[in-house]
Amino acid sequence: MSDDRTQQDSTSSDGTSRGLNRRHFLAAAGTGATAAVAGCTGLDGGGGSDTIKIGGVYLLSGIAQALGTSSANAAEVAVKQINENGGINGKDIEIEVRDHGEDPQAQIRSLAQEFNADVMIGLTSSGVTLASAPTIESLGVPFTLTDIGTPYITEPDTESYGNYFESDSGRAAFTPNMFRTNSNTSHMTYAIAKYVADNYGESRVANMGPDYAYGQQCWDYFKAYSEGLGMNHEYVTSEFPSLGASDMTPQINSVLSADPDLLFTSFWAGDATTFISQAAEQGLFEEVDDVFDTIGADPTVYEALGDTTPEGIHMSGWYWPTAYDNENNQAFLDAYREEFQDDDTTPSIPGFTGGSTYAAIYMYKKAIEAAGGTNPEDVISELEGITIDNDPRGQTTIKEDTHQATAPCVIGETSFDADVPYDGAGLVNTQTYTLTRERSLELLDGSGLGPGL
Amino acid sequence: MSYGVRERLLAPDNRMRVVGVAAVAIVLVAAPFVLGGFQTSLLARTLVFALFATAFNLLYGYTGLLSFGHAMFVAASGYTVAKIVQQVAPALGIESIFGGAALMVVWILALVIGTAMAALLAVFIGYLSVQLEEIYFAMITLSFSMAIWVIVNQDIIGSALAALGIGGGTFTNGSDGLTFRLGEVDLFGLEFRLVDIADPIAFYLLTLLVVAIGMYALYRVINSPFGTTCQAIRENPERARALGIDTQFHSWMTFIISGAFSGLAGAMLVMLKTGILPSDAFWTSSATPVVMTVIGGPYAFLGPAVGAFTYEYLRWIIRQYPLLEEFWEFSFGFLLLIVVLFFDNGVYGGIQRLREYVSDRQE
Repeated sequence: MSDDRTQQDSTSSDGTSRGLNRRHFLAAAGTGATAAVAGCTGLDGGGGSDTIKIGGVYLLSGIAQALGTSSANAAEVAVKQINENGGINGKDIEIEVRDHGEDPQAQIRSLAQEFNADVMIGLTSSGVTLASAPTIESLGVPFTLTDIGTPYITEPDTESYGNYFESDSGRAAFTPNMFRTNSNTSHMTYAIAKYVADNYGESRVANMGPDYAYGQQCWDYFKAYSEGLGMNHEYVTSEFPSLGASDMTPQINSVLSADPDLLFTSFWAGDATTFISQAAEQGLFEEVDDVFDTIGADPTVYEALGDTTPEGIHMSGWYWPTAYDNENNQAFLDAYREEFQDDDTTPSIPGFTGGSTYAAIYMYKKAIEAAGGTNPEDVISELEGITIDNDPRGQTTIKEDTHQATAPCVIGETSFDADVPYDGAGLVNTQTYTLTRERSLELLDGSGLGPGL
Repeated sequence: MSYGVRERLLAPDNRMRVVGVAAVAIVLVAAPFVLGGFQTSLLARTLVFALFATAFNLLYGYTGLLSFGHAMFVAASGYTVAKIVQQVAPALGIESIFGGAALMVVWILALVIGTAMAALLAVFIGYLSVQLEEIYFAMITLSFSMAIWVIVNQDIIGSALAALGIGGGTFTNGSDGLTFRLGEVDLFGLEFRLVDIADPIAFYLLTLLVVAIGMYALYRVINSPFGTTCQAIRENPERARALGIDTQFHSWMTFIISGAFSGLAGAMLVMLKTGILPSDAFWTSSATPVVMTVIGGPYAFLGPAVGAFTYEYLRWIIRQYPLLEEFWEFSFGFLLLIVVLFFDNGVYGGIQRLREYVSDRQE
């Protein structure tokens, strides 16, 4: 079926003086484009029954590399600890963590169907989580989210908020075999709204966040919670630089010219670093009373910023190493330090996803032991309502109807006096916040946003 | 049998071809019963991309126009499919009319309308694009596809509708895209899940059917006077014009056909993924059929399909090894370099050369 005539043509040069004929141009253009792509797609760009297999999928490359890597590290520390203490039901745990790659659903399917994972953890992107939910549901493997912000995935009330999978405006995407151990956007924004209400009262508030669903969602929830708390803030401006932007100065300038008292931001990982360094350069931190950030409080961010981090702003996260005074947290920190103290590329304290990921592994241990095996249905029914005893953030419980853990989030003040093993800032004066579904429903009433708790 | 079909099939020239096609058909039909769930869905995805790349190659290899925006057809058709499955089908009450077969009706409806939307988009964008040639053609298709990416990523349609007082400001749902669940089909007592991720045999067979029809249609297009004219334009547009061919009009028609079949592939892809994200319209997605075609060989009908298989399975092999996976762009780039340097028509050309070499040795 080949095109013989043209093939012969292409091998016999036409011998004319034209340097570049059409065919060669096309071939060159196609190849050049292809080569360019091969270098660029990275961002969107990885059983037997004698082990318990845990599959993990995180962003291990590109913008959120540090974030996904610290989740994987925390999971591996927990696995090592459990294996040293007899495993689960006498069986060792085998863990395989892969990158989202350019096709996260293929990775999830591959781990479930080729690696034969008994249970899974993962995901570093809310968008990927929502898009993969039907796939995960069909696979039937228990899947615990440890790094995901969107409240939708743990919101079962399709009647009030609309089914996410049946409309373009639905906000309830509850999926029966998915669970979450980290506190979500709903917790985070409540905590900041509450902190502002308690410490500053009604203010002129500006917003900055990454230009995708997460940034918009954080701002919507912050405003809804503030209103629920009786705060009539004046919202002076809202700016969304694109995700992974290298230059945020135009947006920082607009915020400066709107002259807010407080700035709410929802940057994380690389974006948090970019924002803080450029805002510091433009003197933003001297112009406003306080700046808040939802999930930027991570050792890798502070380490990258070095001495640029302004002191006294408030950043939050799902976990901060010194925020909890209990023996589980100490055991986690000790094990983590031992594992990574000789590693030059990784801070020897866990990142902001560390607590929730470590907890997820121990949660699976308890559920599999209680279920007497890894039958997915049995494990799922054990997970519903399970109390995670070894959670470094203090005991948490997976809510039976929403599959969301009653996890606290933490707000702290940036300072160079923080006890951190790298050159840079950390959090001091940390406070943890928790929120119940009932209270959240009360506060969000009328906003159309679901608690996801 | 009329027109001596039997004689033609049994003619010495065609006999090998018929045997070859039959062998491939048997293997592809039998495959899902042998392979596991993951491999079956990988094969389904590969078949869809084979159709996509072949449709793309109608413009590139056969007409000499390098489109760098073919993902826009996947997007046009994909968002249409998602809309139909999520909202239009329930609103039309298809479930109550067709009962257990409803999902099959929705599927056919989505496939037809999705393809039509892609074709419609190709009519407009094609008309503007074929005014240009060579690198300018590549650039204008790239621009259009990125414009479409911005429209779906920023949900501009949703905002525009909201400004007119329709809907709540969401239409393409921004960066989260549209995701749906496909349920059970009950066709005359034959019950199956349309897209069963765990074991997608049913959807695989449907994919095979659609791709086979699509590939045959494209084969007929290419081997018709229309296809021959395309090749004349590729070889020398000035001479083609001198012969009285309206090259611009002809390129436009080819663009529409290519866009429609890309849309068909897009509809199947979105069903298989049970959702669409704006990144499916991003330029990196437009590059996929380009890469596949260059790897496979643009100057043979089956080149892009061979490229699709090479691409998907090589990617799968790379994924098996964490070290290769970590540097997968490098591994891939290296392969590409070998293909470009040592094969004059991609992997397909390589296979052909090997065949010639072997038959020479036998003589």
